[in-house]
Amino acid sequence: MKKTYRAYLASSLLLGILVFGFSTTTGEYLSEPKLPEKSKSTAAELTPEQAFDLMMEVLTHKRCVNCHPSDDYPRQGEDSHIHNFGVQRGPDNHGVAALQCQTCHQSENNNHAGVPGAPEWSLAPRKMAWQGLTRVEIARSMLNPDNNGGRTLEETVHHLTEHELVLWAWEPGVDANGTPREKPPVPKAEYIKAVKAWAAGGAPIPEE
Amino acid sequence: MTISFNINGQPTSLDVDGDMPLLWVVRDMLDLKGTKFGCGKAACGACTLHVDGKAIRSCSYAVKYAEGKNITTIEGLSNGDQLHPVQQAWMEEIVPQCGYCQPGFMMATAALLSEIPNPTDEDIDNNIVNVCRCATYYRMRKAIHRAADIQSQNAKNQPS
Amino acid sequence: MSTPKPKKKFSRRKFIVRSTVGVGVAIGATYFTRPLWRRSIAGFVNSAELPYNGSTDEPRLWFEVTADNEVILNSPKVEMGQGTFTGLAQIAADELEVDIQQIKVIHAPTASGNIDGTSTGGSTSISSLWQPLRELAATMREMLKIEAAKQLGTDAAALTVKDGMVTHNGQTLTYGEIVKNVTEWEIPETPPLKDVSTYKFVGKPVPRVDLKDKVIGAPMFGMDASLPDMLYGAVVRSERIGATFVGADTSAAEKIPGVVKVVKEPDFVGVVATSQMAAEQAKQAIKAEWATERNWQSEDIEAMIKVGQGDPVTIQKTGRAKRILDNEEDVVTAEFASPIGAHAQMEPNGAVAHVEDDKATIIMSTQVVNLTRKEVADRLGLAPEDVNIIPTYLGGGFGRRLHTPNAVQAAVLSKAVGKPVKCFFNRREEFQNDTFRPPTHHVLRGVLDKQGKIKAIEHNLSSGDVMFGSPMFPGIAEPVLGADAGAWRGGMIQYGAIPNFRTVSWRVKLPFATSWWRSLGLLANTFAIESFMDELALKAGKDPVQFRLEHIQEDEAGHRLREVIKAAAEKAGWKDEVVNGRAMGFAASTDARTPCAQVAEVSIENGEIKVHKVTCAIDPGIAVNPDQVRAQCEGSIIMGQSAAMYERMFVKDGQLLPTIYGPYRMALMRDAPKEIDVVILENADAPGAVGEPPLGPIGAAIANAVFRLTGERLRSLPLAIA
Repeated sequence: MKKTYRAYLASSLLLGILVFGFSTTTGEYLSEPKLPEKSKSTAAELTPEQAFDLMMEVLTHKRCVNCHPSDDYPRQGEDSHIHNFGVQRGPDNHGVAALQCQTCHQSENNNHAGVPGAPEWSLAPRKMAWQGLTRVEIARSMLNPDNNGGRTLEETVHHLTEHELVLWAWEPGVDANGTPREKPPVPKAEYIKAVKAWAAGGAPIPEE
Repeated sequence: MTISFNINGQPTSLDVDGDMPLLWVVRDMLDLKGTKFGCGKAACGACTLHVDGKAIRSCSYAVKYAEGKNITTIEGLSNGDQLHPVQQAWMEEIVPQCGYCQPGFMMATAALLSEIPNPTDEDIDNNIVNVCRCATYYRMRKAIHRAADIQSQNAKNQPS
Repeated sequence: MSTPKPKKKFSRRKFIVRSTVGVGVAIGATYFTRPLWRRSIAGFVNSAELPYNGSTDEPRLWFEVTADNEVILNSPKVEMGQGTFTGLAQIAADELEVDIQQIKVIHAPTASGNIDGTSTGGSTSISSLWQPLRELAATMREMLKIEAAKQLGTDAAALTVKDGMVTHNGQTLTYGEIVKNVTEWEIPETPPLKDVSTYKFVGKPVPRVDLKDKVIGAPMFGMDASLPDMLYGAVVRSERIGATFVGADTSAAEKIPGVVKVVKEPDFVGVVATSQMAAEQAKQAIKAEWATERNWQSEDIEAMIKVGQGDPVTIQKTGRAKRILDNEEDVVTAEFASPIGAHAQMEPNGAVAHVEDDKATIIMSTQVVNLTRKEVADRLGLAPEDVNIIPTYLGGGFGRRLHTPNAVQAAVLSKAVGKPVKCFFNRREEFQNDTFRPPTHHVLRGVLDKQGKIKAIEHNLSSGDVMFGSPMFPGIAEPVLGADAGAWRGGMIQYGAIPNFRTVSWRVKLPFATSWWRSLGLLANTFAIESFMDELALKAGKDPVQFRLEHIQEDEAGHRLREVIKAAAEKAGWKDEVVNGRAMGFAASTDARTPCAQVAEVSIENGEIKVHKVTCAIDPGIAVNPDQVRAQCEGSIIMGQSAAMYERMFVKDGQLLPTIYGPYRMALMRDAPKEIDVVILENADAPGAVGEPPLGPIGAAIANAVFRLTGERLRSLPLAIA
């Protein structure tokens, strides 16, 4: 118990230092999201179930779900409203003929324009629709080769922890008003560890 | 940094901050004023030009991405004195009122027609989302259909 | 013989007493009849034709003939899409006897001396110049003939003139050749004008004279201006209502690469840099301090704009409407409201200013060259003649540029660095520093007689200012008019056969700038009145079109209104029923004597209002360019639809929001009706207003159609199905 407490304190302190250091260097990010209370301890001691919790806190966050809609319209903003101007999925998830995602979104955030960007900016295919699904349904979809583009668990983990478009969520830039976008509630390093811990533990999905 | 690209068919090389929006490079460094600033937030489309034939909103496109690309602005849409079918149709239907947003619309339309030569009204609704405050949309729609006709006529008249 | 009467002695005391009594009676009479003469003035203003305020007797201020036989028309009115340049060219070409292709219209810089004393706006350019410009052109033609006659050794009467050429006995001189040899012009009396029916260009759908330039992307707007050695400026502007500038910490801004100078003035702080991007970055880095007294919210503004608040002035009164409505039974009462509207024109405001020791040049988009020149001159301590305002084509006006004090800031920046500076608003500033269309609130009451005709009707309207507070009008406007003529524009009852009617305007001064937005109060007032007419028609059990026709008076205005109503209904195939999920809605308005009626065909799809077709009948008197009249109707209809269905500014924590297209929703291609039919009638003998009148009917026409479809009366703009 004591060990857990010390570890928690240490990780909080580490987090605090990272936050402070990050905010003073960029000056842009006004507040870091706090770790939600149900997060328990460092990844080293995560059970696969705990790891699943942390991972799903990220994957159900708007920064991810905004581009995993179940219909043909991306969402945007902190309130996940339907993307302005009627932009839509198009035949291959990249928009329509003269209104592709790349018409406005490039491979990096553009903080002059308040337009987010990352390599391959586009909608997740319909089979990877997450909007409206429970976290358990999302997880099952992620593991199902019919939905996840034929990926193995290892390939899925690779995608979740290394793909630039996924990792964009932790550097989401600022919006048209210059306001920084909210990041997922779990820091990136913690999330990555959680995904790996979850996979290493057999990728269990709880019954809910 | 030095960025090199083709602008309206002419090679150019510039020493510029790579993060400068292409819009300012085009307008202020290359003195091509046809591409307009409307909002700077990729919300209105007045800054639309083509990069390798695709519609791009230049206010949210850092010039560093233009390296090695072919950029076409409204000034390069015509072929010398020969107007592009979109421009010809815009003339026939007398579309512009204040005219400020029109180059952006014409560039978006040209990009549309290069992908969908015979767009339906629904195609037009889905693809053309620029903002026109004078609200010339009614004539624009007619001009887009007319431009598609002119383009297909030209294609038929090409020697095979 | 009678005794001669003694001469009356002049009594100073009696004189003073009697004069004092006389003056006192006059003041008292004026004060107590003030409501009466204010109503007369209001009635006059409602249908007045504003005259042109500038030089109209010197043709050489207006026309310059070039050696290439072209005629440059130096226009003091600016072109902002409304087609004025084309109309002026047509008018001039016909009287000057040149082909329309020979005319090149340019914007008159103030240094040319041809200065518009008020502004371009109010749909008055063609109507106010119709007579003067024809006379100027005819006079110019005669001047050229007189000169040609001298050069050809004959009489002017013996000459034939056509297409810019003068012919006599086989000899021809072009206008260009004539002017080369002029030593001193003889300016004759204004010759008689041609009959309108003989005009070759007026009345024809001549293609816009600026069409080609706008299709090839010519650098024609204020934003496109450029001068050698030009730098880029940015000014820190308030983001909160009522904020006053206290000071700024510019230390971070000064370090941004590319910054040339940070400029601190008592009333603003700005920065000049070597690129647009650097100027923006430096501006973001300035920490400005603002003092605000109050954190305004939307609810605060809505609470102020309520009939019953502020100062009421009765601007229209016939019969005893109030007494009848206060006492009768079965009175219908209805309320309507409209929100704050942004101009959102595509080209932001800005200027390229070049200030030297003893003079200044400003290149910019503006609707008020004269006022701007004065403001810049005052700030720089120069005489107005030493400031040259060079207007450009505007990327949208809509009343936004009826005050352009940003020229002053650009000038100050230029002076500070000794070089030309281009300084313009970014889009956020453009939204937050707009002079908005004010929000409104309306209460209408009406009662029918036994025949189902309106016995009495009353319109109470509450609005923020439009005209009051505009620097275009001296402070005298307020006490004289009492009610803001911009706010109540379109608010009077136009159905003159109603025996009792009354309009009361309630004035509210809001804490942020409100002013001229295309058609002023017409949009909101017509929405309220024409929705209410529909309600009364329903109550009377009558067809809405028939109902309106029943209440139109027998005079010229009534005749013109009746004809457009009939024309619109007929062209639309008007029927008051739902067919295949679509319904029609009708509305009509009269603005500056131009009546306009519209029918909107609407359906509801996925909970959204969809406008499929609009039929519009308009009577502009004479249509100088029928194609451009049509274009103004098409554009106004969709712009009116946009304001009626989508647009809304709100106030949160002192900020006017939103500040970007998208969140400030406007009509896009997908929203615009796919069919717009315009019928033009010409039932007067001079051209009248065109640019604004068609904005009137569209809101009510859509709302009335929605009522047919849902049974729900939408009373607030923007219209939305609950």
